[in-house]
Amino acid sequence: MADEANADVKAMSFEQALDALEKIVDDLERGDVPLDQSIRIYERGEALKAHCDRLLKAAEDKVEKIRLSRDGKPAGTEPLDGE
Amino acid sequence: MVKPVARAYIGRMATRLYTHPIYLEHLTPPGHPERPDRLRAIQRVLDDEAFAPLDRVEAPEGDPQTILAVHPRDFVERIKATVPQDGLAGIDGDTVLSPKSWQAALTAIGAANAAVDDVFGGRADNVFVAARPPGHHAEKTTAMGFCLFNYAAIAARHAQGRHGAERVAIVDWDVHHGNGTQDIFWDDPSVLYCSTHQMPLYPGTGAKNETGAGNIVNAPLAPRTGSETFRDAFSSRVLPALDAFRPDLIIVSAGFDAHHRDPLAEINLVEDDFDWATGQLMEQAGRHSAGRLVSLLEGGYDLQGLAFSVAAHVGRLMKG
Repeated sequence: MADEANADVKAMSFEQALDALEKIVDDLERGDVPLDQSIRIYERGEALKAHCDRLLKAAEDKVEKIRLSRDGKPAGTEPLDGE
Repeated sequence: MVKPVARAYIGRMATRLYTHPIYLEHLTPPGHPERPDRLRAIQRVLDDEAFAPLDRVEAPEGDPQTILAVHPRDFVERIKATVPQDGLAGIDGDTVLSPKSWQAALTAIGAANAAVDDVFGGRADNVFVAARPPGHHAEKTTAMGFCLFNYAAIAARHAQGRHGAERVAIVDWDVHHGNGTQDIFWDDPSVLYCSTHQMPLYPGTGAKNETGAGNIVNAPLAPRTGSETFRDAFSSRVLPALDAFRPDLIIVSAGFDAHHRDPLAEINLVEDDFDWATGQLMEQAGRHSAGRLVSLLEGGYDLQGLAFSVAAHVGRLMKG
């Protein structure tokens, strides 16, 4: 159920997920979420956090591949059109 | 916009990037190494999805008053008066003004000062400023070596004047010695200046025995040395000086012309060296300055070497 309710999270950009997470953490910390909703909101927060973690990890892995080899050819991904 | 609560919750660094299209309008003659394409190459690499988590903000125009903490008024007015209506106006053989140069330089200063405001105001953990013209050769009363105003020095003074920073460290790994920054802080122990650079090379300063008021640490590198010599110098001279100084803010004069592909020097660094050095400075910043670190672009003239080195540097800033 919770998985289904949070299916939209997977399609979010990093910024969107961060926005949504900021709001949730804010609401939970302010303590103005009714108990019956708080578990559902907490689960959504966890889904958003996991999604952000995944995106960041993928970004970090990719950053580490952006390197030139000694002969000047990009060793990993190629974000430049050969200058 | 930064989301501090969510950023803290996911436990990663919030890295901000300042740049501005006006930086492309500071023009130099054909064949000049310090050219707008440098920023286009950086822009292209940072457009990669790997950098999607960067907090990108358009640089604000700087307050000209903040320049006066470093450069005297008559010097600033002389530079402004030399800006041509059209075409180019040379200051010396290397250093050139075009019609938009004043605005570009002022916006570089604006970004550097805003970056300082951000790290002290909690809007970012660290910031990279992709701007030009560069600044570290600009002395109190001399524009030279592609540099008009010393924006690292101005940002350091801004941190002291606006945010009460007592001790600011400037670490300069551009392959050329930052004679301007050394000149400005020569007798000021509230600012530590540490530089690794090739020697002999332009501008000729930066010997080990140039120590100012004990606040200048020069670590010259012999031509045709590389990663090992650089890391040794950084570890044995720069890092201990930083640790003893306990800065409230670290400013990096981040030039990437010690890269092995660079046409203006003969130091053979690779991208991993900039990744490593960035990590070392972040560790110092974590220990002494609540992580506050502001990095300002200086040189770097091989477009691929520059872009990939910036990618390694900014990637490390984001990762922590």
